[in-house]
Amino acid sequence: MSNYRKGARELFEEVIDQGLCTGCGACVTACPYIVAYEGRIVVLDKCTIADGHCYQHCPRTHTDMNAVSEKIFGVPYDDGEVGHALDIHMVKSKDAEIKEKGQDGGTVTTLLALALEEEMIDVAVCTKMDEEKIARGYLARTRAELLECAGSSYEASFALEAYRSIPKENTEKVAIVGLGCQVEALGKIKSDPAKNRANPDNIKLTLGLFCGWALRPDIFHPYLKGLCDPSQAVKFDIPHTPHYTFDVYTKSDTKSVSLDDIRPYINLACQYCWDMTAEFSDISLGSAGSRFPGWNTVIVRTKTGSDLVKLAKAKGILETQALPGQRLAHLKTVALKRKKTAFKNITDKTGDKKDLLYVGGLSEGIADKLSEG
Amino acid sequence: MSRRRLRKEPFNLIISGVGGQGNVLLSAFVGAALLNEGFMVSVADTFGVSQRGGSVTSHIKISKKTLYSSVTLDGKADVILGMEPVETLRALGEFGNPHVVVIVNPRPIYPSGGATYPDLDKVKRAITKLSSKTKFVNATEEALKMGNPIYTNIILLGSLVGANVLPITKETMMPILKERFPGKLLEENIKAFGKGMELIAKA
Amino acid sequence: MASIAMNKPGATVLLMGNEAVARGAIEAGIGVAAAYPGSPSSEVLTTIAGVAKQMKIHAEWSVNEKVAMEVAGGASFAGIRSFCAMKQNGANVAADFLVNANMTGVGDAGMVVFISDDPGGMTSNNEEDSRTITKWLDNPLLEPSSAQEAKEMIKWAYEVSEAVNLVTFVRGVTRISYTKSNVMLGELPEKKEKKAFFPDLWDMYNPKKSKFTSGPFPIFHKPLHEKLEKAREIFERSTFNQYMGPEHPELLIITCGACTSYCTEAVDELKAGERVGILKLGTTWPLPEKLVAKHLSTTKTVLFVEEIDPFVERNVMELAASLLPATCDLTFYGKRSGHLAPYNEQSTNLVIDALVDILGTTYQARDLTYDEEAKKAIQIVPDRPINMCAGCPHRATFWAVKKALQLDGRKGFVCGDIGCYAMGFTAPGFFQSRTMHAMGSGAGVANGLGNLRQFGFDQPVIAMTGDSTFYHAVLPALVNGVYNNSSFILLILDNSATAMTGFQPHPGTGLLATGDPAKVVDMEAVCRAMGADVRVCDPFDLEDTTKALLSMIKKDGGTRVIIMRHMCQLVKARRKITNKYRMHVDKERCLGDTCGCDNLCTRILGCPGLMVDREISKAAIDEALCVGCGLCADICPSSAIIREEAI
Repeated sequence: MSNYRKGARELFEEVIDQGLCTGCGACVTACPYIVAYEGRIVVLDKCTIADGHCYQHCPRTHTDMNAVSEKIFGVPYDDGEVGHALDIHMVKSKDAEIKEKGQDGGTVTTLLALALEEEMIDVAVCTKMDEEKIARGYLARTRAELLECAGSSYEASFALEAYRSIPKENTEKVAIVGLGCQVEALGKIKSDPAKNRANPDNIKLTLGLFCGWALRPDIFHPYLKGLCDPSQAVKFDIPHTPHYTFDVYTKSDTKSVSLDDIRPYINLACQYCWDMTAEFSDISLGSAGSRFPGWNTVIVRTKTGSDLVKLAKAKGILETQALPGQRLAHLKTVALKRKKTAFKNITDKTGDKKDLLYVGGLSEGIADKLSEG
Repeated sequence: MSRRRLRKEPFNLIISGVGGQGNVLLSAFVGAALLNEGFMVSVADTFGVSQRGGSVTSHIKISKKTLYSSVTLDGKADVILGMEPVETLRALGEFGNPHVVVIVNPRPIYPSGGATYPDLDKVKRAITKLSSKTKFVNATEEALKMGNPIYTNIILLGSLVGANVLPITKETMMPILKERFPGKLLEENIKAFGKGMELIAKA
Repeated sequence: MASIAMNKPGATVLLMGNEAVARGAIEAGIGVAAAYPGSPSSEVLTTIAGVAKQMKIHAEWSVNEKVAMEVAGGASFAGIRSFCAMKQNGANVAADFLVNANMTGVGDAGMVVFISDDPGGMTSNNEEDSRTITKWLDNPLLEPSSAQEAKEMIKWAYEVSEAVNLVTFVRGVTRISYTKSNVMLGELPEKKEKKAFFPDLWDMYNPKKSKFTSGPFPIFHKPLHEKLEKAREIFERSTFNQYMGPEHPELLIITCGACTSYCTEAVDELKAGERVGILKLGTTWPLPEKLVAKHLSTTKTVLFVEEIDPFVERNVMELAASLLPATCDLTFYGKRSGHLAPYNEQSTNLVIDALVDILGTTYQARDLTYDEEAKKAIQIVPDRPINMCAGCPHRATFWAVKKALQLDGRKGFVCGDIGCYAMGFTAPGFFQSRTMHAMGSGAGVANGLGNLRQFGFDQPVIAMTGDSTFYHAVLPALVNGVYNNSSFILLILDNSATAMTGFQPHPGTGLLATGDPAKVVDMEAVCRAMGADVRVCDPFDLEDTTKALLSMIKKDGGTRVIIMRHMCQLVKARRKITNKYRMHVDKERCLGDTCGCDNLCTRILGCPGLMVDREISKAAIDEALCVGCGLCADICPSSAIIREEAI
């Protein structure tokens, strides 16, 4: 694998300058030269180190999916539609306070609050919108702090920046909430820990969020400013009904725009994303669709995840329900479609059906399967 | 013309160091002393931008009969006073020969920007290999003991005079120090000079 | 050392070439001296200024070389001997005045200009040979070969200037200017109370009389050439031209300036005194043709040794061509033949190499085995790139600039200029500067870049200038920027001195060349009055400075000015001002070689006061070099570098 060990220069040449940066934040503060500023990754110094963690931990540099899977699940990578899964069902929070503030079911906040309460974790790495509604990584250590993080920004958040800020000597148990790219980066961090940062084995819980695309804050924010004063915005939503709008709730009214107006601000790197369901998490969560308002689809992937969901249910703060077969089929179809789209976009870029850029170690014949209609 | 004996015509002294170490002051003192002893001297220092943390070399050519050009010929140094170890080695590489006398302050000054500095013992060995008449004088260390690294060059001046390789003595040097340093500073610098003479006697 | 103005004729003192030049001007009885600092010439005016009051000389640091030349011109026109000093670049700045001053001639009192060239560009960003300028301007030119001769030549140059009514040049080089050697003093002039008076000589159609309006030029150009011929006649008899060697040398070396001693030494080293003769020219333009022709007739082989351009070489070959067929047997060696290079310094060793080849002899500098060992030993010697001093405010400025430009993200860059901050294109300035040309060119080039909007140019442009450079040549560029609405930021690095050349005062410092108080030309007020948007920052307030820069960069459009004000660390040291902090490294917190993969502070910040403690691979403060500016504490990502308030 030595030819995959590279540094900041190649990170820029191969990822950022190629439009592949998802804005996950894994490289941010991996060293002092890389920072997040107004939604962009900025390298403050031309670093010439040949082998840097910024490159090794980036989810868009070569990733041995099997190695990461072995590290997280103890089994080789499942290159089916939704990755390694123990169980898939629907859940809904019964915590009134959380439900009011959260997106869809509020399940993420409920699970994290429980993990904190049970001292399974000491700190949760979440995303919190600042005054200007720019999403930043945030370390929540109390239920109140968790509640401040509820709600989606629809932006890539550099959330891992907050994880990277945890100092080396820190031994707190950590939970992380992230998108597919972010949990993949965590898998890489765990497989090849940085000597100068806190031990990634302290990460005790990873919650993945389904993700179709994310907005690029550096270009979306100027647009948002034209729509309203961002400091007055309280919530963003893409409601199940009516379809096809992006709604901005402000303190005084609601601005609703067509999704087509938002599309130009979607990070183009998302078109190369392979992983809709955040496959390297303990638990992955997403909306259960318009027919089940308030419910989340949940993919439980590890024993840790399974135990947490069971405990929440036993405590009466979470309801569960089987996922109807039709919804499961739909989930798999959408996830596979994402893989096929990514496959096409990636191979169009590389011009080689064997070169999938960052997606490494897949089974023989996967190319044929993904090339089908 | 000087009544003192000059061992070679011309006699070449090189002071090598790093910009900021005070080699210009040092060479000026030596030059003034030689002039007072009746010699023809030419002293060439490194000036301008090269002074800013780069290698600096002062060439002092001493003669009883004529003024020579300012720069030492390759391989023709008679004495090298090294204010810094790798700079001493650099000067030896260019101007050294089997007869050269070396007095060196073994305290490294690291080049900026992460350039690797060789192992100090290796540098010292290389110096002694190129000059069997090498003496080490811990001038910076002594200066820090005196409370200010600024005394490094005057300590080295004491060592240079104390080594009896140049046709100048402590008596030639004192009026020059007196002219340059006022009051309390003079006291400290005379102390530093004496320290240098003491160190070379022991080296 | 005793005063440069001591009245002890015959006494021998140790003088730097530049001091000897100053003494020469003083002995010549100058009344006015004007200069702009520039290594290797700066110490000349510093030396004169030091005794200006005592010697009744008006000595000034002018804002630039053209003004300095005009100041001297004015004095000469009014009958006062005047003097100018500058480095090679200065001659270009002043050339426009000179080309016209040659039309009118000087006044009754002579005017002499000392220009010090810099072969090898040791302290310059070019190695222009200023002698060529004197040739196209038609000025007499002298070249001293030692400090003693420099002093004598300056004195004699006034006689030449007054005899031919032209500005006379004396050309030094770094090795002449900066070498200290024995100089025997001459007599100081009688104190005479001469009244300055500007004579009204207006007679347009009688060019033989001195008058100071140039043109109509055909009337003046012809006499200029006659003046030059007169200078040639004087030079034919000059004792500054000397020959040493046999009557009929096998090889004739023609040399001048600092190269003279390289030639005599080389001939001595090779013990070739019976084969080789040396014709040393002290007067190199116009060429003393009769003298040179006489020596050409004594030999068949000629080697030219001079620094930078083949100036004498070409002029002598041109002469030889005019003497054909008498000169048809001559073989010429020098820069044209490739025996010496038309760039870089010359040295005794280079002359030895040329002689060994031409004479077919051999030379062994030192024992061969030793030579091999020495060459092997120095392979471990690392490069020692130049650096900004510990505590230099420019380091903080460049750090802030780098950060602000990277955060802005539009590929902004710096147009650099001349001064210590010229290091901006190298590691100490974090490679931020992208252009560097003449004094003031940073702002000038930025003017051009800042008006390319219609061609899709949207990169932020930061022009940098030092405080002294600001007054020298940036003012017109700033006016131009405001007037033509060019979009750039002018960063004035105000460190209270002309630091690179030796801390000379300038119009912003409130001091004159003599050390007397002066009116402060307030750069902030000047910029505001021009209509620029102005901010003032202390670069050591790193965070505020970065923020201010970023907000200025984002403001886009128009000419904006930020003054980075913090005193040069070396000036602080001279004025015994100490910094507030004592620094130390918390070894527990320092990540050492795992910080940013490898030592942000020592590898990137690169302050000489920081080093790596190799035993434990952590950062450490070098007590011998740290001056306690505190910058490293601000940049350490682990807060491991601690500032303590020093008592």
